[in-house]
This record gives sequence, structure tokens and C-alpha cells, in this order.
Amino acid sequence: MISFQNVSVRYPLGNSALDGVSFDVEDGEFVYLVGPSGAGKTTILRLLLNDIQPSEGSITVNDFEISKAKFKQATQLRRQIGIVFQDFKILPESNVFENIALSMLVKGYQKARIAKEVEEALRLTDIANKKYLFPAQLSAGELQRVAIARAVVGDRTIILADEPTGNLDPKTTWEVMKIFKKLGKKKTVLFATHNVDIVNSMKRRVIILKNGKLIKDKKKGGYEL
Amino acid sequence: MNEIINSLRRTPYQTFAALSVLFFTLLLSGLLFISLTFLQGLLNYVETRPRVIVYFQIKADEKQINAVKELVKNSNKTSEIKYVSKEEAYEIYKEFTQNDPLLLEMTSPEILPASLEIDAIKPEYLPELADMLKNQPGVDEVQYQKDIIDNLLSLTSKVRKITAVFFGYLMFMSIIVLTTTLSFKIALKREEIGILKLLGASNMYIRKPFIGESVFLGIIATALANIVLIGALISMNTFLHEYFAGVPNLMSSFVGIPLQVWPFNLTFAIATLSVTAIFSLFITLVSSYVATNRYL
Repeated sequence: MISFQNVSVRYPLGNSALDGVSFDVEDGEFVYLVGPSGAGKTTILRLLLNDIQPSEGSITVNDFEISKAKFKQATQLRRQIGIVFQDFKILPESNVFENIALSMLVKGYQKARIAKEVEEALRLTDIANKKYLFPAQLSAGELQRVAIARAVVGDRTIILADEPTGNLDPKTTWEVMKIFKKLGKKKTVLFATHNVDIVNSMKRRVIILKNGKLIKDKKKGGYEL
Repeated sequence: MNEIINSLRRTPYQTFAALSVLFFTLLLSGLLFISLTFLQGLLNYVETRPRVIVYFQIKADEKQINAVKELVKNSNKTSEIKYVSKEEAYEIYKEFTQNDPLLLEMTSPEILPASLEIDAIKPEYLPELADMLKNQPGVDEVQYQKDIIDNLLSLTSKVRKITAVFFGYLMFMSIIVLTTTLSFKIALKREEIGILKLLGASNMYIRKPFIGESVFLGIIATALANIVLIGALISMNTFLHEYFAGVPNLMSSFVGIPLQVWPFNLTFAIATLSVTAIFSLFITLVSSYVATNRYL
């Protein structure tokens, strides 16, 4: 379970990225974080990754207080989280298989288990036939599938997606969303986007942010600009 | 291993620079080790052979020499007394100057002093014997190990100081060059490191390839330095055999373990390899730690 209690993030010059945000996310829940640019969506994801620290409030993940995490604990926390970025963040010199396996290698899994789980993830994301190709040989949609596959392997129970369809054409966007739909049943997913069509297509919980504040928290909602 | 080699091949100039500096540092550390153990071995050798050498005046006659010999013999503090006549001294001189006939031409047995080589039972008797001999008629100069030991000690100390300064400088430069090379490579992989961190990679996991790369360079540099050192020792073997003629062996110690320095042997080669390997490991580990630390 993820819990944000009265979380604020303020920068030294006084402007705030997040202002008193509180919400809980149950295990296995799929939540959209929506809002215009600068609303605070990415800040929430960065806080969960312990990439930045809150100025106020508390954040807990599975009863573990992130804001008090030391370096080793932050590393352990990140090992529970899979991440999918708009710009994919795929290693250019490693092939598809190696990129996905990396997510398990950093956790010290055995080779046999890595091979098995990576194959499953390749099938889930429908890129089994591309496993020996390098990023330069893949389309944007395929790169995002690699990123999703990397996020799901290795017992990562939480998936954070930061505008994962931002660089994709409409057709590929829907294909990627189908994969996220499948994931939503097994993992906790926080999906940051400002794409209205995507949010409205899947009746899931929607947290709407604006100027760093939580405006609405709809259990099975949609979203309007 | 393939990853390390590929990474090194991608940056050939940096690799060459790092390898060269490492090689010269390790070569110098090996030379320093060899010279210091040799000097220590010589010192130990001289210390275990308490000897006084008495040089007589040119005009000293046999009667005076025999009187001195008798005096020393009766002191009961000597184990062996060897008389070296003017002619024998000339023969020894001839051997030393065989490559320089001009020097030999200018010398004759008449101008060389006769001498007595007196081996004392204990090193403590040396000053006493020297004092006793100094004032005897016909005696020109008395030399005993104290002078040689003092000279050797002073030489060892100077060699230690000079090489320590040079070695310290080279070591510092090696660390700087290797750190800069690695930093350049790490900067190129900054995004990759960022991804690894977000995936939950430990600092050690991120450091490992860079440590591996610098240690690999260290191994190559150590091997090259030792090949050159062993080659140099082998090529000097004949000369050293002549130089140390009559010296059965030179013993030194390495981390408290007795080590035979001369004649050359496998144990001494392993000790030299160990010393250079330890320095290599120190340089490469410090460099990779400093370089990676900036990005973690």
C-alpha cells in the first residue's frame, strides 16, 4: 500500500511542486495521475522513487517511511518499483533481452530465473521475436514495450509510468495501454498522463492535480480538460 | 571480460595513456623494491663478516708487517689473517683494470700498498682491533666494516628518500590519469548509471564494471613491468655474477620473511611481482573509487 499524508515539496526559491497532497493506493490498484504540465504528477513519482525528498508530510510504501530512508533502504525500495518513462530510458548498447534482464540482474537473481521471467515478459509485451535486437533497430512502440517488460520482471510490485504514451502514435498508444490493462490486475500501477482519451477509456481511479494540489480523487472516474 | 575489452577498445588513447603511466609507476616500484632489497642484502652480508683491512705504507718492510701480524694474532680476537703483498695487490688491480690498459700502464707493484685482511671473531672486536692497529709502525690506513656499513646505510637511506619522492609523484600521477580516464568514461555512461540507480542497483553493482576495467589495466601493466624487470635482471646476471664473485648469497627480508636476493631465484621474482601487484591494486582501486564516487 502507498500512502501520501499531507506531502509538500517546496523549492529553495519558495515555489512549490506539491502542496499538502494526501491519498492512499491499495495493493493491485490502478491509478491515473492526471493534470496539466507542472501539476505535480512527476513529482509524486519521483518522491516514490526516493529521487527527491518531501519538504513536509510522510510517504509510506508497504509500511516503510520513504522520507526517512537511508541510501541502502532507498535502494531496497527501488527494487520493488518498476518504472516506465516517456523517453523509454533503454540502454542503447544492450539488446532487448539484456535491457529487460538488467532489472533482475541488479537484484542478484540467478540466470535461469532471469531467462524464464524475461521470456514471460517478452510474451506479455508481444516482443518475443525482437529479443536479440538493439534499441536502434526498434520503433518507439517497441522501445516502450521493452521498458514495460523491464518494469514488470523481478518481483516489482509497483509500476510507475510517467507519460509512457507521450511519444507514441495513437495506434501504438492503444497497444501499449492493452499491456497496462493486463498489468493492472497483478501490480499496483500509478500512471501519470494528460491524455484524456486514455483516462476515459479505462474506468479506473483518477487523481487530478493542479498547481501541486490534489483537486479530485475519483474512484472510477474520467477526466476532462 | 568481453565488455571490459570492448570498453577499452572504444577509448584507445585514454587506455594507452592510463596503461603507460601505470606501467612506468609499477616498473619504478619494482626497481625500487629490487634496489632496496639488494642494498639491505649487502648490508646484512657485510654485517655478518667482521673484517678489518690494514694498509701499510709503501716503504713499510716485511719485519714491520710481520710484527703487526703477530700482534693481532696474539690478541685472540681474530679467526683468520690474510696477507696481501704488493704483487698480489697488483694482480687484483690488474683484474679490475683489464678493460682500461692505460690505467694499468701507469701503475706498478711498487706503488701499491701491502695489506692484511683480518677477520674478527665478533663484530664488537672491530673498533678495538682498529684502534690497536692504527698506531703501529708502518701502518698507513685501517679500514673496517663500520665505514662500509655507514656508507651503505647512508646510500640506502638516500636511495629510499629519492625513490620515495619520485615514486610518490608517479603514483599520484597514475591515480590522477586513471581517475580522469575513468571519469570520462563514466560521464559518457551517466544516463546508464541513472537508469541503474532507478532500478535499484547498489553502488557496488554500478562501480563493478569500472573497477573491473581499471584492475584489468593494472594486471596488464603489472605483467609488462615484471616482464621488463625480469628481463633486465636476466641480462645483468653475468655482470652481477662477476661483481659479486665470492659472495655466496645476499639475504634480505620481505614482510618479516627471509628472502634470498642473490643469486636470483623464483621466490625473489614472486616477491617483486607481489609488490608491484599490490601497488597496482592500490592505484586502480583508489582511482576507480574516486572516479565513480562523483556520480553516485
